[in-house]
Amino acid sequence: MATNTRSSRRRIAGTIVLLFAIIALFVVKLVDIQIVQADTLNAESLGNRSVEQPVYGSRGDILDANGVVLAGTVMRYNITLSPRNAAEFTRTTEAGEVTVTVAQASAEVGALTGKTGDSILQIISGALAKDKSSDYAFVAKAVAVDVFRAVDKLEIPWIYFEKNPSRVYPDGAVAGNLVGFVSSGGEAQAGLELGQDSCLASTNGTETYEKGADGVRLPQSTVTTSQARNGGDVVTTIDSDLQWYVQQVLAKQAQATGAAWGTVVVQEVKTGKLVAVADYPSVDPNNVNGTENPKDRGSRAFAESFEPGSTFKALTAASVLDAGLATPGSKIVAPYRYLPPNGANVNDSSGHADLNLTLTGVLIESSNTGMSKFGELLSDQQRYDYMTRFGLGKATEAQFPAEDSGILHAFENWDNQTKYATMFGQGLTTTALQVSSIYQAIGNNGVRLPVQLVEGCRHADGTMTEVPATAGSQVVSASAARDTADMLEMVYQKGWLAAKWNIPGYRVAAKTGTAQMPDGHGGYTHGYLVSVSGFAPADDPEYVVSVSLADPVKLNSSAASAPVFQEVMSQVLKKYRAVPSGAAAPALPGTW
Amino acid sequence: MSDNLARVLRPNWDNTPDQVQAPDTPDQVQAPDTRHIEIVSTRSQRRARPRIVYALSAVAGMATIVIVQLLLSVGISQGAYEVSRLQASQVELGRTAESVTEDLVRISSPQSLAANAEALGMVSNSNPVYLRLSDGAVLGAPASATGSQGGSASLVPNALLAGVPLVTQLPQGTGQGASVGGVAAEPSAKVADVAPKTAPNGIPTPATR
Repeated sequence: MATNTRSSRRRIAGTIVLLFAIIALFVVKLVDIQIVQADTLNAESLGNRSVEQPVYGSRGDILDANGVVLAGTVMRYNITLSPRNAAEFTRTTEAGEVTVTVAQASAEVGALTGKTGDSILQIISGALAKDKSSDYAFVAKAVAVDVFRAVDKLEIPWIYFEKNPSRVYPDGAVAGNLVGFVSSGGEAQAGLELGQDSCLASTNGTETYEKGADGVRLPQSTVTTSQARNGGDVVTTIDSDLQWYVQQVLAKQAQATGAAWGTVVVQEVKTGKLVAVADYPSVDPNNVNGTENPKDRGSRAFAESFEPGSTFKALTAASVLDAGLATPGSKIVAPYRYLPPNGANVNDSSGHADLNLTLTGVLIESSNTGMSKFGELLSDQQRYDYMTRFGLGKATEAQFPAEDSGILHAFENWDNQTKYATMFGQGLTTTALQVSSIYQAIGNNGVRLPVQLVEGCRHADGTMTEVPATAGSQVVSASAARDTADMLEMVYQKGWLAAKWNIPGYRVAAKTGTAQMPDGHGGYTHGYLVSVSGFAPADDPEYVVSVSLADPVKLNSSAASAPVFQEVMSQVLKKYRAVPSGAAAPALPGTW
Repeated sequence: MSDNLARVLRPNWDNTPDQVQAPDTPDQVQAPDTRHIEIVSTRSQRRARPRIVYALSAVAGMATIVIVQLLLSVGISQGAYEVSRLQASQVELGRTAESVTEDLVRISSPQSLAANAEALGMVSNSNPVYLRLSDGAVLGAPASATGSQGGSASLVPNALLAGVPLVTQLPQGTGQGASVGGVAAEPSAKVADVAPKTAPNGIPTPATR
């Protein structure tokens, strides 16, 4: 009886101990799996069924003022192949199973990608020669959807595809000088693409999902590991239709006159917005390699400064008027050669007897000696101050990459000749934009507005950021600006190009310029930079048009640029429905 | 432990061993009457006791849940195939949309419009003339258009338009939307299917009075 009890007790104890031991084993294993090894096991299991893929954020568009896409993002596809797996395969067609050799498959792909079958075979053999186990070689980069689909349909097992978000410029070279371009790797290279990259840039995200054995995505398994972010849209002030027209007119005249390059700027007088900035030659961002000269790939209107020449006389005249030292009717005698007391030597472009000119007449005749006699009424510092207030010597507010600030030396450093040369647009340099800005200020009653190329960065929710400031500054008094405009209107009516740039129905204020071009070594070349700048309608200025042609060898005078001014200004006035001028221009005497 | 409960605890006066007195002899065990006695639970006890019905319903409930869950998950995975198929078709349609949009944007570029307008015999007149309604004055000098600016050649290149035919070069009878882009023959053929037919007598003119 007692032994019986003891053995049964032992049995029970043994069972309990065993039970606990087993439970302890389980607990240890459980802790090991659930806690100690949890991460590695999870990752391993996920790795077997989960797929990670990039989610592409879309780089923002560059839009014109009317929402026309100048630069957009499209999905392109890289076609790649696995050289080591390139072998013949069977394809099921309606006629049954067909064996397709590598050569056949290559020929099929070649026909769709614009290559020869041989060149694709070479890609395979070349990659294998380098590395026997090569698993990756490019067949074609960034092909369009249609090519991708056609190649995909061939169902060649060793051909693979990658997504490759690319840039497309639907309007080609229209505003190509401004829009710029990106590299094939997606790096911004030039123009607004570069300057506004912080707005346009997107960030790619990743997502993982789990798939079943048959490759179908398991429901509820998609996890976005990092969010893709689309870039904002850059809204420009450019009108793409007008931009095209201006580029076309400029290119035609530049080719006809054999000009090295040319620019046209169209700016709104009352807002400072640039409506068109044309360059010749200009780049087609879809085909950057088609433009050899790197300077042709940007915008000379922003990047190139030159001595403006006589178009600059409008600034000197406005300064003198604003200082109250002259009126449009002030009289001087303009000789062919003027030797001021400081030892400078100023002469006009062609020989003439002494002329009895008013300030208006000086502008009409574009007399350097006459302008010198008015300009010297101001001190150097006063003139320098006017120039800086007109925006010279510093880059415009457009914030275009690689924009030139022009050269305006401090007045203390002007030598005796420069003191006079700066009165008629030599001895300093300006960009086409700066010249346009001078005329904008004169047209806008003396209020210079910031030059504006970009309206801002528009985000997906419609908000605009980086909106540039639009506050203007009074550069000269309204009456001085008005008087200058009246005088420029006389230039338009009575200047030597009056017949060439006539726009019936409108009052126009304009001034020509013919400036010597520096050769880069301190001297001048034989070529001239011929230009016309002006605004219309003169009675209520709306638009500035500024034309520059560099070294038009077949017609080396501003007569080369006048037709461009006439055609562009006509188109601008027509396009924007500017009301034709009613009253006639006030007649100002040019001589006495 | 198999002791009878009816043991008498009394002092061992005569020093005889206990065992003699031990009453547990087999005849004594069989001695008590063999009447069957059962403890009868009270009514309240009976009422408190769980009924089999509850157990059954719980098990049935669990089974139902399991089955419903199974069916649901079958349904969801069936849906997954549907979703997967629809997503694939959405991607395809998205590609088609992208492709035809690209074609559209390309042929709406100023170069394409100008070249096509010119091919159709249109010229641009850069000589604006205005009629002022208030006094009937003609502003500007009317003159016939001198022709297009830049002649026939587009001086503003657009690499995207390479190989895209002008409207006048399209083969007859292809209708609208056909072959808008050189490489886009296939998707645009799809467009052609849904494109409205060309009006038989040209563009319908509104009757303005």
